[in-house]
Amino acid sequence: MENRDAILTIPDENGSLPPKAPNLSIGQWFRKNLFSTWVNGILTVLGTAAALLMLRGVLNFVFSENRQWDAVRTNARALMTLTYPESQYVRVWVAFGSVVVLAGLSAGIWADWGRLPARRLAGWFMGAAGFLAVCILVREPSVLMDLEGKTIRLPDGSLVRESFASAMTDRANWWAVVALLLIVGGVIWRSDSDKKQLKITQVTYLGIGLGVLSLWVAPYGHYAFTDGTYIADPNSTVAFSTKMPWTVMWIMLAIGFFAGRWLRTSSYLVLAKAGSNLLWLISPVTLYFVILRDPALDYSHVFSTDLPMGLAFGILGACFLWFLTRSDIGEIGRILATAMLGIAIFNWVAAFFGWYPMLQKARISFLLLAVAALLAPNFVGEAAKRRQLLLGWLGTMALVHYLATMINTPSTVELQSTEFLGGLGLTLFVAVFVVLLSFPLGVLLALGRTSKFPIFRILSTSYIEVIRGVPLISVLIFFSVMVPLFLPDGMELAELGAVLTGYTLFSAAYLAENVRGGLQSVTKGQYEAADAIGLTSAQRTGFIVLPQALRVSIPQLVGQVIATFKETSLLAIIGLFDFLRVANSVIPAQSEFMGVKREGILLVAVIYFFFNFVISKYSQRLERRVGLGER
Amino acid sequence: MRKNIMWRLLATLFAVALAASACGGSDSDDDSASTASSAAEETEVTLAASGESLLETVKSRGTVNCGVSGSAVAFSELQADGSMAGFDADYCRVVAAAILGDANKVNFVSLTAAERFTAVQTGDVDLLMRNTTWTQSRDSEVGMDFGPTTYYDGQQLLGRAGDGFSGSSQVADIGGSVVCTSAGTTTEKNIADAASEAGVSIELQTFEDFDTVTNNFISGACDIITTDGSALVGRKAKQQPEGENWVIFPATPISKEPLGPTYGQNDSAFSDAVNWAVYATIIADEKGVNSGNVDEMLASGDTETIRLLGGEGELQTGMGLPADAFYQVIKQVGNYDEIYSRNLNPVGLSREGSANAAWTAGGLVYAPPAR
Repeated sequence: MENRDAILTIPDENGSLPPKAPNLSIGQWFRKNLFSTWVNGILTVLGTAAALLMLRGVLNFVFSENRQWDAVRTNARALMTLTYPESQYVRVWVAFGSVVVLAGLSAGIWADWGRLPARRLAGWFMGAAGFLAVCILVREPSVLMDLEGKTIRLPDGSLVRESFASAMTDRANWWAVVALLLIVGGVIWRSDSDKKQLKITQVTYLGIGLGVLSLWVAPYGHYAFTDGTYIADPNSTVAFSTKMPWTVMWIMLAIGFFAGRWLRTSSYLVLAKAGSNLLWLISPVTLYFVILRDPALDYSHVFSTDLPMGLAFGILGACFLWFLTRSDIGEIGRILATAMLGIAIFNWVAAFFGWYPMLQKARISFLLLAVAALLAPNFVGEAAKRRQLLLGWLGTMALVHYLATMINTPSTVELQSTEFLGGLGLTLFVAVFVVLLSFPLGVLLALGRTSKFPIFRILSTSYIEVIRGVPLISVLIFFSVMVPLFLPDGMELAELGAVLTGYTLFSAAYLAENVRGGLQSVTKGQYEAADAIGLTSAQRTGFIVLPQALRVSIPQLVGQVIATFKETSLLAIIGLFDFLRVANSVIPAQSEFMGVKREGILLVAVIYFFFNFVISKYSQRLERRVGLGER
Repeated sequence: MRKNIMWRLLATLFAVALAASACGGSDSDDDSASTASSAAEETEVTLAASGESLLETVKSRGTVNCGVSGSAVAFSELQADGSMAGFDADYCRVVAAAILGDANKVNFVSLTAAERFTAVQTGDVDLLMRNTTWTQSRDSEVGMDFGPTTYYDGQQLLGRAGDGFSGSSQVADIGGSVVCTSAGTTTEKNIADAASEAGVSIELQTFEDFDTVTNNFISGACDIITTDGSALVGRKAKQQPEGENWVIFPATPISKEPLGPTYGQNDSAFSDAVNWAVYATIIADEKGVNSGNVDEMLASGDTETIRLLGGEGELQTGMGLPADAFYQVIKQVGNYDEIYSRNLNPVGLSREGSANAAWTAGGLVYAPPAR
């Protein structure tokens, strides 16, 4: 959207643009906004003092001589993936790289973040320099250490601190950074004679690149724990096994992006969009179960059982559905579909009592076939519609059988514990998986609750009310106890599967209410107009109602996404090692870092904030793009 | 026409059903593409049904599922590289080396105090090495059996020398102090009982975990903290600020906390295997056999040593273990003293003079003879 500014300033009814705010000098701006009355003046001074005091407190905490940041640095890998073995770590990078390429591709296809005035960028640099300078000034002077690295105390037990002047000279490196930021900002400002606009995509990519580059030059320090020994090398750059993958990721991001840009101009655009959406949808499960777990496939079993079974269900099921969508099918279609549902349910009952053996996959497929059969009456008619149902069925079968085979195959990754993945990896996986799955479910529930059919309405309403009336933690405990009863004996990842199921169902109930709020904002006239031009109810929902409803509910939906992400820390209660639990109970229990807890928790808070801030910012951009709150 | 349709339909359904059930013919609930693992799972199911020993299950599974705390300093700690280290973790390895011949065939399951017994009862873990105190009610009502005690612990108190406490202080000296401990544990009850017996009044405060308790002690919110002596020694070694002197008292702990392996009750074959794996480390310590000299001792030791290490006799094979089971234990993990020194010395716990010294040195660590 190159002309975003033009959209933001929509001419009013008379065709004139809204009045422009007058340009104020800095002094005038201060007087108008901060010191307009003496009360405001006092508030301004007090507020600034409070902010500075808080900043001072945070800085003193972070740079205190009591902080053991080594604990966090040494445990960096534990915080990311916990027990995942180092020898297999390339799998983590492949998984992460796939997401990076996919992100680059999507950005290439869709991203149009517009442009950024170069002067604003310069302003950011100079603002960062100013903030950093304030930080350097307000932080308390460091405690003096003797030659053995111990603090020096006066006879009354108080600590000896260096003088303010020597503190400022000690922080010369930081002042150098301030100067560098000022110079870069100044150069950008000065060179911008013709009010240049920079592409935000380019600025973002270069920013990430600078971060990656700094891994190669900046002395972040190399900390590790391998084979029982601690490595602490504070003056070197990070390990090669960290900076190299990040550089590769950065290059892959560019490759993905340019591939996306190329696709945007090519004739495959529609296909590429659908493809990348599909990849996003299946990537969490595929990356987790296929790439990270590396299933030990037994090909004779695959070719003798898994493949033929998938094909049989796909082809025979397709024939069945083709038959059910004949235009002359009439009532018998519904009768057969109901009978099918009966068989599908009976299979589960039989499995519960162990009457006859049947693979879990077959039971799931029968159930799906019954659902497809129930949907069939909507697709009766011309060949194109019937083909849609068949293609949907074949795709679902391919996906279900592929995933079921992968999930049920034991992993070859050797672990010494049941926690296959922990830390940030687990947190992100659960959050992404739950959001992706609960979104469609939530939309369906919202549609069900506003539906005219009493049975749908009652079912959806009672589902939503029951789930919303129960705390998340009890839902999680319930599922971690109950779901294993329905899974095959000895199946791995039962705990995680239970969590994902319970959490998805919980999140869907909340999303459904958010979407329903949006649905209510769509006026009756929209429905009537859709009916008037002869749209079917599916078309009306898909093309008229939902786009408007979802647009309105963006703020609540994003709020729900953020809440989902943060509440993954409840996983600790049912025994999984999420990000927060690693910082809260794993690191303080290591004899090397006994009781070192605050550092890890601060880091966890910062990382949670980073992700949520990005989500929030992106949603604001999305709101502006769809014109929410403006029209 | 109608009949024709029905027939075609029935044929389709039949074919689908046939395809599905044919594929599911052999194994009931197990979709596993790996025949090896499905075989193992099948055996597990049948064994559980027929009430055979867990020992056979562990052997066919090929790993020992060992329940540990995962956040008990020096006993079971999850390291930065994802491995499990500590005294309890090493005893899990002892069991794996004895039953399976490989100390690394352990699957560590981190359990909270609340879920540990359920995990044994549901079969999620084979045994607990999770600093679990052997008590009468747990042995009888809870349905656990306890192996030989590997560590004799006891609740003690930690105070500052600056507040007038010393190693010879008694509970009677703490009147009026703010005493802190972690919530929901027996330590809370023990200290309350001990204080009322000594006739002193204390202000008891509880916090979520012992890290918080220690931080409150350091900041001065607590005068005294109390928990198992082993943990207090570790805290003192690692967290005592300069210029302060922390002391641990009373010399005789206010409670007895014998810690050792815990497993489901009435499974003799499995409990014998676990118990004798533990005893083997103690006997080896007594006889001076360690991981360094185990090969020579197998050739030149006394008859009991040679019997223990599998050089002669059928003692191990008779109980369902490989003949060289305890040789592997000593070779791969070490004897009691090695396991103790490796894990507990770094946090300041020493065997000398404690209940964990060998019985010949005045301690309680004692094993029945191997013959």
